[in-house]
This record gives sequence, C-alpha cells and structure tokens, in this order.
Amino acid sequence: MKIQWAKEKCYACGTCQLICSYHHTGSFWPDCASIKVLRNPQNGSIKWKLDSTCDQCDGEPEALCAKYCVYSALIVAVDQPSEIKETRDA
Amino acid sequence: MLSSQVIKGCLAGKILRVNLSTDSVCTEDSHPHAARTLGGRGINSLIMLDEIDPHTRWSDPENLLCFGVGSLVGTMVPGACRVDVSSMSVFTGGKGSANVGGFWGKELKYAGYDNVIIQGRSPKPVYIYIEDDRVEIRDAGFIWGQTTFATEEILRRELGDDFIRIALIGPAGENQVRGSAVMVDTARAAGGSGIGCVMGSKNLKAIVVRGHGNIKVADPERFMREVDRCYRQCAEEPRAPIMRKSLTNFYTDPDFEGWDKIMVVRNGQDDYWERKKRIKLMNWETGVPSLRKGMRACYVCPTGCQSYMEIDRGAYAGTKGEGFWVNTIMGNACRMDQDDPETVVYSWILTNELGLDADYVGSVLAWVFELYEKGIITDKDTDGLSLTWGNGSAFIEMIKRLAYRKGLGNLLADGAVEAAQQIDKGSEYYLCHMKGQPSVEPFRVPKGWGLAVCTSPVAGRHLRGATLGGNRFGPRPRPADFNATDYKRQAYYTVWQAKTKELEDNLGICNYCGTWSGANFMTLTNFAEFVNAGMGIEVTEDNLMEHFAAVGRNLEKAFNTLHTEMTRKEDLPPLRFREQPVKSGPYKGALADESMYNQMLDEFYQLWGWDVKTGFQTRACLEGLGLHEIAEKLSKQGKLIESK
Repeated sequence: MKIQWAKEKCYACGTCQLICSYHHTGSFWPDCASIKVLRNPQNGSIKWKLDSTCDQCDGEPEALCAKYCVYSALIVAVDQPSEIKETRDA
Repeated sequence: MLSSQVIKGCLAGKILRVNLSTDSVCTEDSHPHAARTLGGRGINSLIMLDEIDPHTRWSDPENLLCFGVGSLVGTMVPGACRVDVSSMSVFTGGKGSANVGGFWGKELKYAGYDNVIIQGRSPKPVYIYIEDDRVEIRDAGFIWGQTTFATEEILRRELGDDFIRIALIGPAGENQVRGSAVMVDTARAAGGSGIGCVMGSKNLKAIVVRGHGNIKVADPERFMREVDRCYRQCAEEPRAPIMRKSLTNFYTDPDFEGWDKIMVVRNGQDDYWERKKRIKLMNWETGVPSLRKGMRACYVCPTGCQSYMEIDRGAYAGTKGEGFWVNTIMGNACRMDQDDPETVVYSWILTNELGLDADYVGSVLAWVFELYEKGIITDKDTDGLSLTWGNGSAFIEMIKRLAYRKGLGNLLADGAVEAAQQIDKGSEYYLCHMKGQPSVEPFRVPKGWGLAVCTSPVAGRHLRGATLGGNRFGPRPRPADFNATDYKRQAYYTVWQAKTKELEDNLGICNYCGTWSGANFMTLTNFAEFVNAGMGIEVTEDNLMEHFAAVGRNLEKAFNTLHTEMTRKEDLPPLRFREQPVKSGPYKGALADESMYNQMLDEFYQLWGWDVKTGFQTRACLEGLGLHEIAEKLSKQGKLIESK
C-alpha cells in the first residue's frame, strides 16, 4: 500500500498527522505520528513527510490519514510501497 | 453546575502563570475553572474578574494578559484550534478579548497548558519560551523593532526548530499603538481590544511554544464516532466546498447580497458601493481572485477558508502572505473606497507584518480621509499627504505612519476618540466607534448584525451574535425565518447566536465550522456530545446554552459594569448612523432608527435576564447561574438590580 500525497491539493491543516498519532497511541499526540506537516505562511511552501514508522494503519479498516483528508490530498494506492518524503513549494 | 463532576479529558490540565515583574513562573490546576466555564475565554474571564482591581488601567503592570485555548483544541474536533486572548480593553477600559485560530493553541495544549496568564511588566524587552515543563523568560533585544514576519524568521533560525509556534507583536504593539494585534502564524490576528498594545506595554515581544505531549479524551471510541458524524455532516454541507475555494468568491458576483447588506462605504457616507468598483476589485481576471495562489486551513479544519496571496504585478509585486477575508473588503476596500486589488491585498498583508488590527486601520483611516475631504484636517496636518478617496499610496503610507507613530499616525495611535478631542471641529461625529473601540461595522441595513455590534461585550465587533438573516443559520438547528433588514425577531436570534459563540470560544471551535456563517456544519448536538465523550461529563444542549453560554457572557458583562461607566445608552449605534440614512442602492433611506433599536434592546436585555431600564445585571440572573460572588461585587458598587 502506498500513501500518495497530492501536493497541489494539500491545505496543510495537519489532520493527517493528528489522526496518525491517534492510530499509534490512542490519544492525540502529533509528535508520535508517522506523518509530519509543516508550512511556511510567508512563501506558501508546504512540507509533508511520511517516515518509516508508518504501518499502513495496521488493524484499521482503512488508512486513516486518507479517510480524514477532506481535501483529497492523500490517496491510497494498493500494491505500491509507501513513498517516504515529498516536499512542495507553492 | 459542574462542580460535583470531574473533567476526565480534553484539558491539558494546567494554567501557566508568568510574572514579568518578578521574573517568576508557576502553574495551577485548570480543572476547577474549566468546570465552571468549560474553558477557553471563560477561564480568562473568571481570572480577570477575580484578580483585576476596578482601579487598574490597561497600561498598569497589574493588568493581566490572558491566553486561553479552547478545551477541545488538540483533539480531532473539526476546526478546534481557537485561542482567546483577553485583557483590559485599551479602548473601553472594560473587558477586552480577541480570538484567533491557527496552530499556536494546539501547541500550547501539547506543552501541557490550557491557559497562560501574564502578569506584571518586564523592565526590558523579553520573550517567553515554553517547551513542555521548561518555561523561560528570555531577552528579546535582538528581535525588538522587527516586523512580525522578520521576528518569526529570526526566532526559527535562532532556536533551530521549524515546529515552534509563535504568538507575537510587531512594531505597532511595541509602540503601543492602540489598535495593535497579537499575531499568530504571521497571518492570523487576535485583533480586537488593542490586545497587542497591552502585550507591548508589558515589554513582551513573543510567546514561543513547543509541545511534545498529548491530549487524551475520556471515551475515545465514543468521541471518534462523533468526529465521524461531523465529517459526514461536513460532506453533506453544500457550503463547505464553496468555503474551500474561498468565502470571498461570493463577492466575485457584483450582485451578491453581502455587498448591499454589510458594506459601509467612505467611512459611513453610504452603505452602497458602486458596481464598477465591486467588479474592479473582485473580478477573476485582474481582481483579487487573480492574486490568490492557493488555499490553506487552520489546524484540523475541514473548512479551509484561508487564502494564500502573491502579488505578481504593480507597485507591490513580490509581496506574499496568507489572508484575505470579507473583513478585508469591509474595512480596506469599501470603507476606504479603495478598489485597486493590489493595494487592498498589500494593505492587508502590511497590517499583518506591522502587527496592526486591520479593522482598526480601516476604521480610523477612513475617518481621517473623510475629515480631509471635509476640510477638517488639511495638508498641514497630513504633512502634505493627499488623503483623497482611492489614493492607494496615501492609504499605505498612513498604515506605516500609524504603526511607527509618525505625524498624524502618532495622533491616531493614542486612540481615535482622543484624536477626535484634539482635532475637535466636530470631527467626533464622523468617527465610527462603539464605547471607544473603532469599528467598521454596519448598523443601518442589517439590524440584528447592528444589535450584536452595539451590545458586544468587547464593543464594536460582530462576532458576539451578529446575524444576517435566516439563511445564515442553514438547515441546523432549524431553518430560521427572519429578514436581516427589518427589526422583527432580531434580538432572539442575536442572543441565540451570541450564546453559541460563547460555547465555540470556550470549546475552541471555529465558528466557520460551528453555528455562524461559512460552512457551519456542526450544531449544539455535536458540541454536547464532544463535551460528554471528550471531557467525561454529562451535559445537554440546554445546559450548554442556558448555563455555560450564559455564564460566559455574564462574566464579561460584569467586568464591564465593574470597570467602566457603561450603561444602556452606550448600547445604541453611533449617532451618525441614527441620523444619516443610506444614500443609494437597494437600501436607500435605511437608518438605524433609535426607537426601533431601543425596542430591540428591551427584548435583548429581557432575554438575558438583565434590567431593561439600565442594562445592568440582576441578582436573580447571576445567582441562578451560581455567580453569587459576582453579584456581591456588583452589589457593593451599587450596580446590581435586586428585583428582576
């Protein structure tokens, strides 16, 4: 399974990071998420990073980061390895 | 009501107190305060009422600057990111409060704090660094004098951490310009009440936060079921995708009703802005939408209403930044009669960079432009600057002079009412302010909106109950049937909206997700379930509205009564809007009719349980809410009405 980040659709709200931490810890703990989101409001850049702790939401019915992304910026592609890092500049 | 119940989740658990006079830091348990108010602004209000003496002035070290993060912030509740910043208002001397979204609030919760209370005054510029249990008051000499944009960059570089979040002031706040904002994430302003001016008076440049901890909820499964319900409601809400493309897109249609209902033109000379100017400002090809290069959202927000702008042409080419709102059109365009898209966008980004409240800017600058037009001030007063309507470079120059206290800007920086007293020559009549707080709000066309602005506890702002007709309520809680432009039923809906806003501010939910305009896909039912599942207590929707929302409003009302001479007569619209009708457009002739406003006020006070004659609170109202100690304070001052 591969989590693909559609860079042009991302609003940098951080919801994917927060729900990821909920999957890992059962609490809201963004430091413990596999995803990190960072944006620079002055130049419009957004950084989105997925690290190796991602377990493809093992035990969940679906990938939670994609489920809660209302902006359709995260897409699950089955049968592909996860992409670890992407960066976007506006 | 909740004193016997124990809050089991959502809170970080501590209030951080920082005394800048004694260079000391301590913490206390936030649960007792949250049990009385639910959290957020409610906690700030309780502490201010308890600890600030009525003789204290906003500029005294004894004044408190209170940051209160909503109790649901840090969780997955949609749009839960809001922070209340409260202090004494530099304009009214009463309760000051401003509210801001972004990412700072959640960081503070993850660091372990629900509120930060700043006491005292530092002898030299400082900033506060908070990283979990580590709290330090640090020298800010190297950032003092810097703009908000530059300060963010310098602090990130200096601290070597991209994930810090910063609440800060710009040059305007440092210079104690009355209309200064506390800025968050460079583009979000806690703007009202001169909160940034108070921060400057304390020699406090910034509060930097980094939190590594977590927020737990009482019943995670139940809580997430409600999150899912809200996401379904959001998906079914037709306005949500419109908001995501920018709320201001409605204004690309020159016939959109908002143009005629809430825009005040040339400082109040009219409430109708010419069609060709609407088109020039907001057309897709060369207007503001052509400068929008992307959209962004606040923390965990599915509404996503924030524009990212880049000016790629003209005198301000190269300017970048987030933010363009309906208020930008209200204050910086219509009120200033400024239809040049680049100038309007640049003026907004500049106010962010200098740390000014844009509503204050739009209000006081439109006022001096009108004074110039009427010959009340001349080139001699403006140092040769031609303050003619539509003069964009003069508008921009005046913003800088305001922030840096140059020339006429220095006069305005000490407060618009004070400036009017100095200028004299009948100038105060043209100044739009409520209780001293300059305002960009309409009073003549939307009656409920005007009533909310008139009665706002923070004076002159619309986010404490403004309504714009039944359509703004959407399908939930039920379709409301009233017309924004007549007086009927306005008080009822204004009180309803004011109460839901109290809850949203105490819980930290953005009203664009909640019950106000915008996507408004969440309801009181959702709020109650989040409180119950998240905080582990049991409340009903009625408890929320009739108890907690009423407590929140009454705390601020009591602070105003104790600290100022405000009475009922200060709740009427500015005289100009009662005397001069709208000159053109579909609402030509509309007026803020004094007798009709008085009728709305009668109903408004009755609905809150306050005394109709004076506007004061009653013993029955306060004691019914368990606010006995507040009733005693008011009684001692002779400002409590004993019989309802």
